[in-house]
Amino acid sequence: MNLKQQFKEGLITNNPVLVQRIGMCSTMAITTSLFNGIGMGLSVLIILTCCNVAISALRKAIPNDIRLAIFVVVIAGFVTIVDLLLQAFIPALSASLGVFIPLIVVNCIIIGRAEAFCQHEPIGPSFFDGIFQGFGYTVVLVLMCLIRELLGSGTFGTGIFEIVDGALRVSFDGSAAGIRIFPEQFGATILIMPFGGFLTLASLLAAMQYALRKSAEKKEAAERAAKVEVVKEAANNA
Amino acid sequence: MEEKRLFTVSSNPLVRTDRDTTRIMLDVIIALVPALAVGVYQFGVKVLLLLAVSVFSCVFFEWGYRKLMKKSRSVGDLSAVVTGFLLTCVLPSDATWWMCVIGAFFAIVVVKQLYGGIGKNFLNPALAGRAFLTAAYAAFMTSWAIPTTLGATVVDASTMATPLSYLKAGTAMPEYFNYGSLFLGGIPGSMGEVSSLAILVGAAYLLWRKVITWRIPTAFIGTVAVLCLIFGGEGYGRLDWTVYNLLSGGLLLGAFFMATDYSTSPVTLKGQLIFGAGCGALTVLIRYFGSYPEGVSYAILIMNCCAWAVDRVTRPRQFGVSAEDVKAAKSAKKEAKKKAKEAASA
Amino acid sequence: MTATKKAPNQIIRLALILFVVSAITSGVLGLVNYFTKDIIAEREREKTAAAYQAVLPYDGEYETVAFDEDAWETVNAISRAGDEGWVVELTFSGAQSSITAAFGVSAPDYSITGASVIDHAETSGLGAKITEPEFTDSFIGQTEGMAVTKDGGTVDSITAATISSRAMANAANTAIAAVKALG
Repeated sequence: MNLKQQFKEGLITNNPVLVQRIGMCSTMAITTSLFNGIGMGLSVLIILTCCNVAISALRKAIPNDIRLAIFVVVIAGFVTIVDLLLQAFIPALSASLGVFIPLIVVNCIIIGRAEAFCQHEPIGPSFFDGIFQGFGYTVVLVLMCLIRELLGSGTFGTGIFEIVDGALRVSFDGSAAGIRIFPEQFGATILIMPFGGFLTLASLLAAMQYALRKSAEKKEAAERAAKVEVVKEAANNA
Repeated sequence: MEEKRLFTVSSNPLVRTDRDTTRIMLDVIIALVPALAVGVYQFGVKVLLLLAVSVFSCVFFEWGYRKLMKKSRSVGDLSAVVTGFLLTCVLPSDATWWMCVIGAFFAIVVVKQLYGGIGKNFLNPALAGRAFLTAAYAAFMTSWAIPTTLGATVVDASTMATPLSYLKAGTAMPEYFNYGSLFLGGIPGSMGEVSSLAILVGAAYLLWRKVITWRIPTAFIGTVAVLCLIFGGEGYGRLDWTVYNLLSGGLLLGAFFMATDYSTSPVTLKGQLIFGAGCGALTVLIRYFGSYPEGVSYAILIMNCCAWAVDRVTRPRQFGVSAEDVKAAKSAKKEAKKKAKEAASA
Repeated sequence: MTATKKAPNQIIRLALILFVVSAITSGVLGLVNYFTKDIIAEREREKTAAAYQAVLPYDGEYETVAFDEDAWETVNAISRAGDEGWVVELTFSGAQSSITAAFGVSAPDYSITGASVIDHAETSGLGAKITEPEFTDSFIGQTEGMAVTKDGGTVDSITAATISSRAMANAANTAIAAVKALG
């Protein structure tokens, strides 16, 4: 498996949220501001990569019968480490994501990748699988955040971007108020609420399915055309 | 000359009538005219504008979705127009035109068409649109303009509290809210719900045209009345409390025009009574304990979700099957299940 | 049936492997905890101190006072800031989570000098607005019997987050009552 293909799988054709449909709970729960989305996405990316490498390294030592127990122990370990580090060094993110960091333990993406990929594959590909799958997850989170934040409260980049005295200020401690695109009263509050999470994710899933199907159809049509061409040529030659 | 043909031999349908979906929808539109006319009188020409936007967007989204998805055209059945009318009826006059467009989009595309279009939606589109707008734009949706008839009484404000908010707070109503003004429509509220009289006129027309039956509205309103009489309310006499509860908010509009929607209410006769009673009980529950003063729309939406279950429970026995037969079949099924379980565990 | 049964030594082997993995993980966790524990505690202290300073500025040491813990279940701590007044820290339930907040109560007239949310997990964008100064500032100068504007009171209620706002108003009332009960 080469890197390019792995990248494409993580981002599009085998995107954890939009295609494998795992890890949707946190996707809907925390995507209310760009700061949350990026923070959660990167946390999962880091944890996923560490777990992938650890499990791949241990894959020959893990007996099949107790593999799930071992996966959970390893995952819980990394999640707790990240949780502690966040509390110590990025307290704003830790406060904002709250219980969802500890809940990464039961995020299906991590145990799913361990089960489906890392227990068979060597460390190298597992490492990149963690990075790319985590990146795919982050991209979806950021998309959800952008949509929900814009339509729900009329801002862009809450927690990260802010315009102070006409200049763009970028902060990484979640203190920025965001850039206001339209007045708050026009924002559909419901999109920030859990219902909006379902609605936005459903729309993204539908769009993804549509795009994937369209591209599959195109591919098929091209293949068919190629086949017809071959037959025609054969007929001409005959 | 008299024709002596006794029977017409033809293939089905054997009964012909001019009553099709379009005609029924037209009747509903006609029945809504008095209520909206009062709305126009009380809240000004703005109501007509919002009505036009709602209807136009509903029809546009219906047409656009069917066209985009390459499905049969359904604009002609007028159901989208009815949704536009109902949506206008349940919005406050302080709603803005773009809210009507968003509400129409949610009602027609998300609630109605995504589930397959007319007859296949499980929620009342207009009410779902209202619920969406309430959650999305709470500030606009709880701002009640002063009706024309009270313009001289309430001068130093642009909005006022509805009778329901007085009921909710348990404080005495001002003088200008009395049986008369509540019945005739001299109160603030959604554009099509203020006048009980106008709604009753429309309802009478629908009953006369046999577009709706008495079951759901009677069970709905009856349950609210009985529960209010039994439990009463703080700061009000029992009778006052009951009458105010019946005449204020969207109860009558909801009971006659929303809960009776064919595709979102049960088909069995017993089921319709249960459905109505459920709507009534939930309305009272929300009005008593909810954080919003009004609960009619949520009550109907919740019961919409239960309609299939109500239908299943109240399914009439097949002709020729006795109650004992049904019981026997049930116990036999149970027995078989038990045996299968035992076999599995053995 | 016998196929799934493991020989005793097989079970011991599995248990051992699981034990080793768990032991290593715990070891690493312990190490990380050892290094971050002090930083986290320091952060918590800073946060609380900042909250105290925000609600009732005071140069001296805040002095913890004893109160009837059974009567005031939601109150975590009451600290006396000299003659200025008291800071009351409470944990109470909001719309979705427990909210921990500090209220400053002035000594002479038992009015609120400031409010600050220390910890919460309310919906971001809605209930989470209780942390914003626009909301907390509306408590300043209020006395017992506060209610949010939606209930006819004078504390701003946050649009679409009435429950969180109401919880804060109730907590402020509790804070004043608890201080008054000190005597």
